[in-house]
Amino acid sequence: MKTEELTAIRSLPSGVPGLDTVLGGGLPEYSFNLIAGGPGSGKTILAHQVMFANATVERPALYFTVLGEPTLKMLRYQRQFTYFDSELAGSAIQFINLNAEVLERDLDEVLRRIVSETERAKPGIVVVDSFRTIAGQPGSPERAASLDLDKFVQRLAIHLTTWEVTSFLLGEYAAEEQRNPVFTVADGILWLSQATDRNSVVRKLQVVKSRGRASMPGLHTFRITDGGLQVFPRIPEQTRKRALQKPDRLSTGVAGLDEMIGGGVIAGDAVMLTGPAGSGKSTVATQFMVAGMASGETGVIAVFEEYPEEYLARANARNPEVGRMLDEGKLELIYLRPLDLSVDEALSAILESVERLNARRVVIDSLSGFEVALAPTFREDFRESLYRLVGTLTATGVTVFMTAEVSESFSEARFTTEKISFITDEIIVQRYIEMEGELRRVMAVIKMRGSEHSHEFRLYDVTARGVVVGGTLTEYDGIITGVPTLRAKAVKAKRGK
Amino acid sequence: MSTADRGKPNLSREQPTPAQIARRLISSQRSDASGGATPARAAAAACDNLYRELSRWVGPDGCHALFTRALAEARADNAALQQTQLRARSDPYVDGVAETIMARGEPATADALESMLVRLVELLGRLIGDDMATKLLERSLAASENGGAGSADRREEA
Repeated sequence: MKTEELTAIRSLPSGVPGLDTVLGGGLPEYSFNLIAGGPGSGKTILAHQVMFANATVERPALYFTVLGEPTLKMLRYQRQFTYFDSELAGSAIQFINLNAEVLERDLDEVLRRIVSETERAKPGIVVVDSFRTIAGQPGSPERAASLDLDKFVQRLAIHLTTWEVTSFLLGEYAAEEQRNPVFTVADGILWLSQATDRNSVVRKLQVVKSRGRASMPGLHTFRITDGGLQVFPRIPEQTRKRALQKPDRLSTGVAGLDEMIGGGVIAGDAVMLTGPAGSGKSTVATQFMVAGMASGETGVIAVFEEYPEEYLARANARNPEVGRMLDEGKLELIYLRPLDLSVDEALSAILESVERLNARRVVIDSLSGFEVALAPTFREDFRESLYRLVGTLTATGVTVFMTAEVSESFSEARFTTEKISFITDEIIVQRYIEMEGELRRVMAVIKMRGSEHSHEFRLYDVTARGVVVGGTLTEYDGIITGVPTLRAKAVKAKRGK
Repeated sequence: MSTADRGKPNLSREQPTPAQIARRLISSQRSDASGGATPARAAAAACDNLYRELSRWVGPDGCHALFTRALAEARADNAALQQTQLRARSDPYVDGVAETIMARGEPATADALESMLVRLVELLGRLIGDDMATKLLERSLAASENGGAGSADRREEA
């Protein structure tokens, strides 16, 4: 056997979607870990997911319960989760109660019991829940007198590692308690927290310590679902490679618009279409997707403003292909409006669909709805988060088409939402203007990185079949104000007729 | 590896009824090394043994709470349990068996203790699901069968 094979530390799957990525590949085998966090932060659920992902009859998991949540209640609640397999409970996963040892005896007896049960069962995983109730409150005189916690933790860690056990101590700790001896001895520390901002609560996970592993730094959001914890790794900024040679052009599905942008959007770009309410942004976005479908591409639409049924009904009315593509699995419609959404959760859902379909086009409809769906804490750094989201998506090679609502003003020209325009390669604006006593719509291309584009305002209509681009307004001035005026020359020409 | 591979094969595909489980717990005590335990003493020994084994899982307090409720429910239908006492953290756990046999006779005492066990199995099933309860109890049964001197022996000695 090679030396590398002997020294390489195997990784165990955590059983928690997203967590292995954060951990740098999984849980190091035979490591001694601490899962810390406040009440209700998900420590017990996380430990159960680890057990159910790894326990076998030959290498079972031992779950020591100590005071805290009574075992029967814990089993009653845990079995509601989809990861709980009652076939494994009792054989591959064994629950052992240590109340008597803790209440009536001392730490030596607790250690002796854990070691003897470990020797008996030869487990692969050991969990002690809650370790805090064994260790007592720091500084409490009654405990300090009788328990030598440092030695206990040292001996427990040595025993469990010697028996080739990957172990997890669960405890309620506050951030200021990190000088506790268990923090020094632990090979890995996972910290679960719940941040409250106004009425929203966001769950976050941090790998505070991970010996021998390059874990992902920072706080990662997670959600507790029927399947247990799901972690949304904080994806770092991605480097996007833009093609230097002549890029592929993708049709928007709107002939006149394709003409304005030099033949279609550039493949792999982030495109933003802005406009006021009712200007037809979603219609163009759907046409963009349908054009891709017509070319045999697959795509993902993430909706934030409407229920998917309503979105689909409206899209189908103009483009019956949408429903058919959904049925055929060439298109996925993601509805992302859970409470207290995080950018990483949205990104995770979109990326998952993109990978599943090998999608080439993604529509985000709309950024305004997305921002509203986010928990308040994430709205504060929306720009930065969106930059990462768009960067990560376009790094995979997909073309991202986003819509954003801007408020209409007849006294001020606002082309895009100034906060987010910098993340895009191409910007198309729509707006209302008043012409001859009628409300008309115009669109223009105001940004297109690395490509020539039209600088004209073009009239357009939203018809039963979608957006149809019409003529230019070369005879008018002041279109940008929303109230264009016919040039004197044009007036004369009209009078002459 | 799928979870199906990891779990032990399911010995009984059909879920046994609480009465069947209770009878199995009792008969395991009758067929242990002592061989000659009477039905009532075997039922009491099954309770002692179950208390000991279940305590490993749910703690002595949790287990005592389960038995206390089961006894209270069974007592409502069975006057023979009036003299039965549960002694937490003691072995034997069920007290007053000899007195009940003297007062009510062997068959009535055996039936009464069996009814308490049935209530306990039902209660456990309601709390954690019948499948989990059955697994826990089967595991207790297996531990008892693999153990040395049975509860019935210890009960006789006591």
